[in-house]
Amino acid sequence: MVQRNIAKYTTMAIMLLPAAIIIIVFLATPSILTILISLTNLDYRFRWEWVGLSNYYKFLSDPNTPIFIRNTIIFVAGTLTFNVGVGLLLALLSTHIHDTIGTFLRAVWYMPRVLPSVIWAFVMMWMFSPMDTGFLNSILKSMGGKPVLWTFQYYWPFLFIVNGFIGCSLGMVIFSSAIKSIPQELIMAAKVDGASGLTIVRRIILPLIKWHIAFVVAYQTLSLLASFEYILLTLDGGPGYYSTEVLILQAYHLAFGQYLAAMRYGYAAVFVTILLVIGLVLSIVYWKVFRLRELMIEPKLE
Amino acid sequence: MVKAKSLILNMVGLLVALIPLVPIGLLVALAFSESQVQPQGFTTKNFDFLETGTLFANDPVYSKLYPNVYSVALNTFLLAVGNMLIVVLISSMAGYIISRYSFKGRSALLGSFLVIHGVPASILLIALYYMLKSLGLLNTLLGVILVKVAVDTPLGVWVLKGFYDSIPWDIEISSLVDGASRLGAFRRIMLPLVAPGIFAVGLFSFLSGWGEYIFVYTFIQSSKNWTFSMLIRSLVGEMGGINLALIAALSMIYLVPVIILFVVGEKYLVRVTIGGVKG
Repeated sequence: MVQRNIAKYTTMAIMLLPAAIIIIVFLATPSILTILISLTNLDYRFRWEWVGLSNYYKFLSDPNTPIFIRNTIIFVAGTLTFNVGVGLLLALLSTHIHDTIGTFLRAVWYMPRVLPSVIWAFVMMWMFSPMDTGFLNSILKSMGGKPVLWTFQYYWPFLFIVNGFIGCSLGMVIFSSAIKSIPQELIMAAKVDGASGLTIVRRIILPLIKWHIAFVVAYQTLSLLASFEYILLTLDGGPGYYSTEVLILQAYHLAFGQYLAAMRYGYAAVFVTILLVIGLVLSIVYWKVFRLRELMIEPKLE
Repeated sequence: MVKAKSLILNMVGLLVALIPLVPIGLLVALAFSESQVQPQGFTTKNFDFLETGTLFANDPVYSKLYPNVYSVALNTFLLAVGNMLIVVLISSMAGYIISRYSFKGRSALLGSFLVIHGVPASILLIALYYMLKSLGLLNTLLGVILVKVAVDTPLGVWVLKGFYDSIPWDIEISSLVDGASRLGAFRRIMLPLVAPGIFAVGLFSFLSGWGEYIFVYTFIQSSKNWTFSMLIRSLVGEMGGINLALIAALSMIYLVPVIILFVVGEKYLVRVTIGGVKG
């Protein structure tokens, strides 16, 4: 018996440890390290000097901080609206047409997610380029219109589109599988009673998938709060003075920007710590709300 | 009346399905374009770099600024394959243990996987930069691969645990009764049964390494360790308004494996994405 137990634990250790070690070293440790760095003035000299909470005071008193917070709210809210709205429309459309076309539609809309981010950013920047050679402007010009300063003028909608085309497929996939699992009798009964398509969507489908919508909203709020890759690759916080600089992008610029003001790791870590705390609190709340514990039922026997 | 409505709806569906293909189509048109800034005419001259791998072969100054395209391709491939092999290996083992064994801290472990997974790892860049610098792994592909593996593993474990969960106990127990050891049963019975899951996680982690930008951009300086994402990004920065056709041609080379793998494995990828990280 003891021998069997030893064998069991050896097997478990061998198979579990590689994953555990790499996660502890490269995810858990840097999370804690980030909090520690935020209490130092670590900079280009890479010297640890504890400065207590002074970085946090600086964050609170910096006149630019409200700009970054406002931008983060605009970015998250706008992209989320695009993601969930378009995701919902795609799910409804693809489940109400011929199955082959519906599957094709979902596959194509899923594709931007696997494209390398630099390519997606490059194509989008060219399509919406404010210059005459930009794709949309060259069409406008050939039709006799005037070029539009797309990314200079409409920078937020541009970022919602760039990010939204990547993000909306999560909602699309989850919503359409939820819609498909609605019993057909319910829809049939409503049709017999003379309900229009729109009424069926509003009164039957939407109430039945409201938890799926809540889940996507919750999940994507969290990931968008810390998302900056596509902003970095397109507008990089511009045009102009911090017009699209979100909190996490500012942290990136403070640490790794190209300017002399960069390499301020200590101060940058404040931004990250705040986002980390928000993220942890939110994901624990979500965990409770969506009863994800149910996914983790103990195995019945060994 | 109903028929006409359904026909219109199907047409709308088909048109909507084409929207994401527009940017890709434009990229292809630009890559084969005679003009350097907009799709015009047809030529393959933008792909001339494929012959020797040297960009701007006619320009002695510019050609020295950029690494050979084939060495860039090799780096990108190493990052993708390295990430794929390690993620598949360690998450297929860990997923099995978490699915089949009951032990103290199991639900805490799963919960922490979920929490970690919810917080995108790109926000850990500052601490990771410091750690890689201390470990001497800054500016190496190995450093990027290790970080990438750590980021993709929780998802891999989570997905593969689901695949193991769906295999009935009876199959495993009957092989144990037949005298196989637990490890033997894992290798010979369980692994083949979760092959679709392994394929899905492998595909996901390959593409995730292949397309990686932020970690490469942040941790790698020397252009001899560049991947495609860095090369293209650097060209966009240097000549974003001048030679778009060349960037598009490079992008197409970068895209070929992605499109092939996407067409082959789209169904598998969707199963991974239900828990995917990208916002």
